[in-house]
Amino acid sequence: MTNNQHKPNKFWFLVGMSLKRKIKTKWFLWANILIFIAIACAFNIDHIIEAFGGDFNQKETIYVIDKTNMGVSDVFKQQLELTNITLQAKDQKIVTNELQDNEKKEDSDYIVKTYTKSEQEAKKLMKKDKHNYVMIFEEDAEQIIKTTLITKDYLQTTDLQVLTQAINSTKMAVAIANSNIPVSELEKIYSQAKIEREILTKDKTAQAEGTEMIMSTVFPVVILPFFMLTIFLVQMIGAEVNDEKTTRGMEIIISNVSPKQHFFSKMVAGNAFILIQGALLIIYAIVGFVVRLILGGGNPLGGMGSSFTSVIDALRVSGVLDKLIYIIPLTLILMIVTFIAYSLLAGILASMTTNIEDFQQLQTPIMIISLVGYYLAILANVFGGSIFIKILGFVPFISAILSPSLLVIGQFGILEVIISIILVIITNYLLIRYGLRIYKVGILNYSSEGLWNKMLKALKG
Amino acid sequence: MLKVDGITKYYGDFLAVDHLSFEVKPGEIFGLLGVNGAGKTTTFRMIMGLLEPSSGNITLNGKKIDYSVTDEIGFLTEERSLLTKLTVLEQCIYYGTLKGMTKEKIISRLKELLARFEISEYIDKPIKQLSKGNQQKVQFITSIINEPKLLILDEPFSGLDPFNVELFKAEIKRMSEAGSMIIFSSHRMEHVELFCKKLVIMLHGRPVIEGYLHDIKEQYRKKNIFIRADINPEDLKQIEGVVSVDVRPDEMEVKIRDNEVIQKVFEVVSKKAKNVLKFVVEEPSLNEIFVEKVGEEYDK
Repeated sequence: MTNNQHKPNKFWFLVGMSLKRKIKTKWFLWANILIFIAIACAFNIDHIIEAFGGDFNQKETIYVIDKTNMGVSDVFKQQLELTNITLQAKDQKIVTNELQDNEKKEDSDYIVKTYTKSEQEAKKLMKKDKHNYVMIFEEDAEQIIKTTLITKDYLQTTDLQVLTQAINSTKMAVAIANSNIPVSELEKIYSQAKIEREILTKDKTAQAEGTEMIMSTVFPVVILPFFMLTIFLVQMIGAEVNDEKTTRGMEIIISNVSPKQHFFSKMVAGNAFILIQGALLIIYAIVGFVVRLILGGGNPLGGMGSSFTSVIDALRVSGVLDKLIYIIPLTLILMIVTFIAYSLLAGILASMTTNIEDFQQLQTPIMIISLVGYYLAILANVFGGSIFIKILGFVPFISAILSPSLLVIGQFGILEVIISIILVIITNYLLIRYGLRIYKVGILNYSSEGLWNKMLKALKG
Repeated sequence: MLKVDGITKYYGDFLAVDHLSFEVKPGEIFGLLGVNGAGKTTTFRMIMGLLEPSSGNITLNGKKIDYSVTDEIGFLTEERSLLTKLTVLEQCIYYGTLKGMTKEKIISRLKELLARFEISEYIDKPIKQLSKGNQQKVQFITSIINEPKLLILDEPFSGLDPFNVELFKAEIKRMSEAGSMIIFSSHRMEHVELFCKKLVIMLHGRPVIEGYLHDIKEQYRKKNIFIRADINPEDLKQIEGVVSVDVRPDEMEVKIRDNEVIQKVFEVVSKKAKNVLKFVVEEPSLNEIFVEKVGEEYDK
C-alpha cells in the first residue's frame, strides 16, 4: 500500500476529476465556440448588418428639385433637421430642451441636396441607391406649395412621418415669409415652445424614466449570464451524479469517500465550473469588444453612438451609476450564495433520480423558478411597489436576480438585500443539514419504487 | 481476517439479511451464493461500509470497516461500474486515487496488469470503445489495482470467453496465494467449486447451507453413478435407493439416496450388464446441492 504521507487528497481529486470530465469534452468545446460566436456577433451586430448590405446606419439622401423660385430647398433642409432631431429625442424619452447646432448635423438621419438637373436624371439616382429620394417642390395656380416625393421602395413609417412634418413646416414657413410679417414677429413664431413639465405622480420623474430604460435594456443583458450559468450548473451536477449512478461507479466511489465528501465535491466542482464558464463569457465579451474596435476603426460606439450615450445618460440620470459601488458587491455575493443553493439542490435531486431522464423532469421546477425570477426581475419596475413582488424579492433562488432588480429601481435598500443574502445562507445550511441525509440514501438507491417514502424516511434521519 | 458476526439488515419492515455469520482468513476464497434477491448485494454493501447493519458486526483484522480501511479493499460489482467516457488510464487513475494511491504507483501497477491481461494497447482508449470482455478486464483491474487485502468479486466472469476466464482464474489464485481474502459470488457453481473451500448459500436473507465445501458435500448423502454399459435402465430403477436414472447418448447417470446403494447398483450391473466400459461414483456437484437445497427452501 501507499505511504500515508503521500496519499492524495481525495476531496480535491474528486473536484478536479469532475471539472476535468466536464471541460475535456468535445461538447464543452463546441458549446463555447458557439457561445463565443454568438457574443462576438451580438457586439458587432451593426457591422454584420452593414456587411450584408444592411442599412443599420445608412443616411437617406434627399435630392430637392425646387421649381418654385422661392428658396424652398433651404427652408426644407432646416425644417427637416429640426423635425428629425426632435423626433429622435422623443423616441429616446430623454427630452433635451435645447438642440445644439453640432448635434443637429451629426445626428441627422438625412442629407438634403439641392438638385438642379431634370426629374428624369434624378430618378436615375434612385436606381443606383434605394436610399436616394427625390422631392419636387412646385407652386399650383393659387401659389400654394405642392410636393411630389419619389422613392424606389415604400418608405418606413418614421421616415414618412419626419418628411411630412418637415414639408408642412416648410409650407408654413414660406407662407409666413410671403406674408410680409415683421422680423420681430417672425422670431416669436419660430421660437421653440417652452414646455414646463409637471408630473403629478412623484416617481415619474426623469430619474424614474432613466431607471425604466435601464430595466428594459441594460438589466436583462446583465442578468442573462446568471440565468444561463444556473442552467449550466444544475445540468452539470445532475448529469455527473446520474452518470456515476447509472454506471454503478457510485458504489466504488462511495465505498472510498463518504457521501458528504462526494456531495461537497460536486458542489465545489459545479461552482468552479460556472466560475470558469463565467470568466470565459467575460473574455468572449472582451474579444467581441476588441473586434468592434478594430471594425469601427478605433471607435467602439460606431453607428450606435446615440444608443450608448443614451444608456449612459440613463444610468447617470437614474442615479444607478452612483449606487453601483454597493449594487455590484451585494449582487455578486447574493448570486454566489444562490449558485451554492442551486448546486446543493441539484445534487440532492440528482441523488434521488435513477437516470438522467428522470433528473431532467425533476429539474424542470428549478428551471421554472429560475425563469420566473428572471422575468420578475425584468418586469419589477412594471409592478411598481407591489408588496407581493417585494416579498418574492426575499425568496431564496428567486432573490438572486429579483432583489438586485428591486435595489436598482429603489424599492429595496441595502438592508433588504442583506436580508435576502442571509435567507439564502440559511437555506444553504438547511439544504446541507437535511439534504445530505437524502443524498446519502439517494445515491445508492436504484429504484424509483416508493422513492418519496424512502426520502422522507431519510429526511427524518 | 474478515469477520461477519450475526449481521441482520432491515429495509423498513423488509428483512434483507438475517443473522449471517462467516469468517474469511488471509489466503482463503469464500463463496457467497444465492439466487437473485437472496441478500448478497446487501451483504457486500455492508462489508464495504456502504450500509450499516441493523444488528451484528463486521470487522477486518479486528477493526470496524470504515473509510480508514477501505483503501485495503477491492470491489468488483456485478454490473459495470466504469465511467465509459473515460479512457482506461483515466478510469484507473480515478479509482486508484480513491484507493489512496499516487498517480505514479497507479500507472506502474496498471501497466503490469494490462500486460498480464493482454490489453496493453487499450490504455488510452475510451472504455466505451472496448468489447464487453475487455471492459470486464478493466473493471477487474480497477478492483485489484490497489493490491487489496480483502477482495469482493461479484460475478467476475460475466461476459468473458473461456480463454479470458482462465486469465481471471490465474489472477484470483495469484492473489489468494499472496494472502488476500477473497469473497466470491457467482451463479456458475463450477467456478465456485473450483475456487472456494468455504461457502454460504443464502436464500431470503438467511443462510441455508454454510461451511467447508468438502463437509457440505459429505453431508449431502446423495451420490451419482455414471455407467457406460449395455443394460436396461428399468433394471436400475427397480433397485431400492435409486432416486432417478437419466439416460444420455453415451452413458447413464444414476442418482442414489446414499452410499449404501452403491453396492446394490454394482451388483445389478455385474449381473445384468454387458460391455461394461465405465462405472464411476461421483460426489454431487455444487449446482445439484444448490438447486435442491434452494429449491426446497424457495417454495416455503
